[in-house]
Amino acid sequence: MLSDYLPIVLLLVIAAGFAAVNLGITHLVGPRKPNPVKLSPYESGVPNIGDARLRFSVKFYLVAMLFIIFDIEVVFLYPWAVVFKDLLAQGTFVFTEMVVFLGVLVLGLAYVWRKGGLEWD
Amino acid sequence: MFEIDWNILLPSLVVAGLVLVVLCVDIIRPDNKGGVSGYLSLLGVGVAIWVSLSLWGRSPTHGLGGMLFLDNYALFFNLIILAGTGLTIFVSTGFLEREEGGRSEYYLLILAATLGMMLMAAGADLIVIFLGIELMSIALYILVGFFRRRTDSNEGSMKYLLLGAFATGFLLYGIALVYGSTGTTNLREIELAVAQGRVYTHPMLLGGVALLIVGFAFKVSAVPFHMWAPDVYQGAPTAITGFMSAGPKAAAFAAFFRVMVASLGDLSGDWSGAIWMLAALTMTVGNLGALSQRNIKRMLAYSSVAHAGYVLVALVAANERGIAGGVFYLLAYAFMNIGAFAVIVALGRKGDENLEISGYAGVGFRHPGIGLAMTLFMVSLAGLPPTAGFFGKFQIFSAAVEAGYIWLTVIGVLNSLVSVYFYLGVVVSMYMRQPVGQAHAVSMTPFARVALLTASLGTLYIGLAPTSLLQMARQTVSALL
Amino acid sequence: MDQWILTLLTFVPVIGAAVILCVPGEQKNTIRWLALLTTGICMVLAVWLFNAYDRANPAMQFVVQVPWIPSFNIEYHIGLDGLSVSMVLLTALITLLCIPASWSIEKGVKGYFALLLLLQTGMQGVFVSLDFFLFYVFWEIMLLPMYFLIGIWGGPRKEYAAIKFFLYTLAGSVLLLLAMLAMYFNTTDPATGENTFNMLVMMDQANHSEWLRAGTIFGRSAPLMLWMAMFIGFAIKVPLFPFHTWLPDAHVEAPTAISVILAGVLLKMGTYGILRFNYQMLPDASQYFSTLLAVIGVVNIVYGAFCALAQTDLKRLVAYSSISHMGYVILGMSAFTVHGINGAVFQMFNHGTITAMLFLLVGVIYDRAHHRYIVFPNDYHEPELRGQLGFGGLWTHMPIYGSLTMIAYFAALGLPGLSGFISEALCFLGAFPVHRTLTIIGTLGVLLGAGYMLWAFQRLFMGSFNERNKDLPEINSREIATIVPLAVVVIVLGIYPAPVLDLIAASLSDLSHTLSAHSGMAANAF
Repeated sequence: MLSDYLPIVLLLVIAAGFAAVNLGITHLVGPRKPNPVKLSPYESGVPNIGDARLRFSVKFYLVAMLFIIFDIEVVFLYPWAVVFKDLLAQGTFVFTEMVVFLGVLVLGLAYVWRKGGLEWD
Repeated sequence: MFEIDWNILLPSLVVAGLVLVVLCVDIIRPDNKGGVSGYLSLLGVGVAIWVSLSLWGRSPTHGLGGMLFLDNYALFFNLIILAGTGLTIFVSTGFLEREEGGRSEYYLLILAATLGMMLMAAGADLIVIFLGIELMSIALYILVGFFRRRTDSNEGSMKYLLLGAFATGFLLYGIALVYGSTGTTNLREIELAVAQGRVYTHPMLLGGVALLIVGFAFKVSAVPFHMWAPDVYQGAPTAITGFMSAGPKAAAFAAFFRVMVASLGDLSGDWSGAIWMLAALTMTVGNLGALSQRNIKRMLAYSSVAHAGYVLVALVAANERGIAGGVFYLLAYAFMNIGAFAVIVALGRKGDENLEISGYAGVGFRHPGIGLAMTLFMVSLAGLPPTAGFFGKFQIFSAAVEAGYIWLTVIGVLNSLVSVYFYLGVVVSMYMRQPVGQAHAVSMTPFARVALLTASLGTLYIGLAPTSLLQMARQTVSALL
Repeated sequence: MDQWILTLLTFVPVIGAAVILCVPGEQKNTIRWLALLTTGICMVLAVWLFNAYDRANPAMQFVVQVPWIPSFNIEYHIGLDGLSVSMVLLTALITLLCIPASWSIEKGVKGYFALLLLLQTGMQGVFVSLDFFLFYVFWEIMLLPMYFLIGIWGGPRKEYAAIKFFLYTLAGSVLLLLAMLAMYFNTTDPATGENTFNMLVMMDQANHSEWLRAGTIFGRSAPLMLWMAMFIGFAIKVPLFPFHTWLPDAHVEAPTAISVILAGVLLKMGTYGILRFNYQMLPDASQYFSTLLAVIGVVNIVYGAFCALAQTDLKRLVAYSSISHMGYVILGMSAFTVHGINGAVFQMFNHGTITAMLFLLVGVIYDRAHHRYIVFPNDYHEPELRGQLGFGGLWTHMPIYGSLTMIAYFAALGLPGLSGFISEALCFLGAFPVHRTLTIIGTLGVLLGAGYMLWAFQRLFMGSFNERNKDLPEINSREIATIVPLAVVVIVLGIYPAPVLDLIAASLSDLSHTLSAHSGMAANAF
């Protein structure tokens, strides 16, 4: 049973080996002439300014979090939408359910709004 | 297809609805200080207690596609959790006002944590239990750091978050391994799979159980997973420290007991040795750690570690008396510990929380009522009759003796002897030391008085007339065994 | 309804304490009189019980048995036999006399008397409980008031003494708790077929499990281990060598009335427990340890007496004399003879009254001179007084005090005609046939007792008058009122011991018959 996987393993080994061998050869035979511009992190012709470890405004985090929270909820809407028509035949529960769910989300959004979470300044 | 037994959700729904109501208060008045929210929360918690009591003994005991239980076990824990929440809200009103930290979110978070705890006690599926733990934990992370201008509060919150996330990882990994070997996360299905030997690889299951134990041990602050407790307890706002030591601990034990005894009871030969060690270590390290503390919140943090050890003894015994005893003890502990924290809150002042035990010198004579109440709580925590703590410990130790764990009982009993020293240290300070400096007026709001009185009467009542509560605790056992 | 008198006696002090807590703290005299009234009612009830007790009937009397915590078969079960009725009377008497002896306390009067009354409930409860769990609850309840009474109203090292007292006794209680659980799980009530805390059921060995008869625990015989656990629990309270070190500290720091209760009643609980639990529940193991008991008794007698000889602090001297005198009790009961056990119980009663007198008399002189050194010790804070006599020649200055002290000291050293003589003689008489050599060594205690008592008396009252003490007033009428009743009891029982001795003998002959029935098999039972 395990032998069925042998070709896959072989493929992986050959693929990895090909990449490794190529990298190794270029490392060994390639010419190296370093200069400061080449060694800089971004070889774009524009000189670097400052440190990469900047402090971002906390507002970005807030927006990012809010985005994720409300974005993820859409995931729940898709499967619901797919079966909605079939289930509606069995009663309106499937509709009220989503209304309640969205109602809770709207409350949350209203809370964020009233608390000033959506204002940038 | 949509036949849903709404009753099974009722207690949780009440609390969930309460969360939304408190949220609405915030939407209507975004800059409120939380006064109205506090009263609303109290009212709602009262309703939830009433609902839980009225559902006592109902059947069927599970529903919602096998995701939730609503047996006596879950209901009893609902009572413990809600009692803890209610007392905390009573204590909090005046506390927030004094510390000028009042925000409506405070009550929102407490209620969300309560909802999470109730799901932990009621969860019939490892996923539900996990969701409950996360709901509770996230709310608690924020509550611990609620006084965001205090560095120790921030430190506690950050520590709790990091270590809590780590423990969550263990728990999830454990759930994954159990799922991998049994093919299900449903507690009843796991029980059947283990009983019928439908387990994919036994070592994998045992690995899962071990990781589950680690995850839960962190949540109940059992040694060696207790490191967070002292710092978090010290840093958190005092009312929240009291809250954390009662409800979340009880809820974590609720899930722990249910998973270990009900689902994995057939494997008890494999895990009881590990829990034995955990219990012995937890009691010993907790009590020895508390001996040298000068800060009362730190002392009570170690004490809460030690008390987790006593309840673990009940889990080791895992017999009828043990489970009833453990459940009963958690109820008793909620009353006496929140009472103790209510006293700490009452004796603090704005800007000076007065947390050194030596600072309590003379309290017994300056504030006789508070001194008497604190003495009662300390005596109860030490496990002396005629208080709740004694009868709780008595049950746990008698269960351990019945199950044949004599050495563990001896260790436990010796530990409670050690603990008397530091609990009485508080009493010594209050009554036998000369106070230094001026007496400070203690202003307790009527709400705080009610909390203190309720906790005191509860502690005495459970100790003197435990019969009715004991009956209830006994009725929870059938859910597990 | 007669049997409820016992319940009333036990809980009247709690009611009194509750009433006192409602009185404003400034009304000190109201509080004192209320306490006196409460203990007076208890005394009346105790005397009534003492009279109503049927001496011919060895069974438990005034029994009340109602369920308390049914799921553990815990009951509120109380009753009296000859052993407990004498202790109940002693408790009521000593507590009553302690109220006037505490009259001069000014600090926290309300708390003091409330705790004292709570303590009384604990003590009465211990002596009347017939349910092991109830007994344990009362046993522990008693600890806390005692701890506070020493710790708040005590002397300079009160904190240390209080904690030491508490931890020592609690360590004993912990062993007792384990023994209680073991007894519970190995005793079956024949009426219900369930485990029980009922002490009367535990006393019938037919109800014991096989494990409790011949099982093992930790590789040793279970009944012997269980006996040891209970014995150490009680021995700490007695206190028996080597668990005695808390006693002198507690006594020295405690206020007078509390010392009186400690020595007069609390120590008796240890020996009461040994008789009630070790002897009646595990008679075979008790037989097995007979020699050990006798040895410990003799060590207590002789060691306590030698320590007393060396003391310079009068209160410490009395404390060590207590240790010595409790040794007689253990020696007496070690032999399992009717005389010995009778003597032991009678000695318990007599030591209660005599040592109460001794402590009250120490309190009288301490209240006046504010020290109680027979000889000032070498580390006394006033260097010029070191090594000097603290008193001396007091007889001429305080003749009434001197006479009362003389009665008490003579009673303590066992002078014929006073009650201590009879009980000590009975103890020796009972022990002699069984433990001959040990008894002979034990009689050394009488000699040493005479030594330290008379030597102390001589240094306090004889010789030339110490001018430092010329301002000491004579003993006042309130103090006389506390001491005279005890003196009367000591003299009357010394001449006519029958009222108490009969009482004890009736129920104890039953006990010693049970024991001697087992004595034949005891030697090779283990």
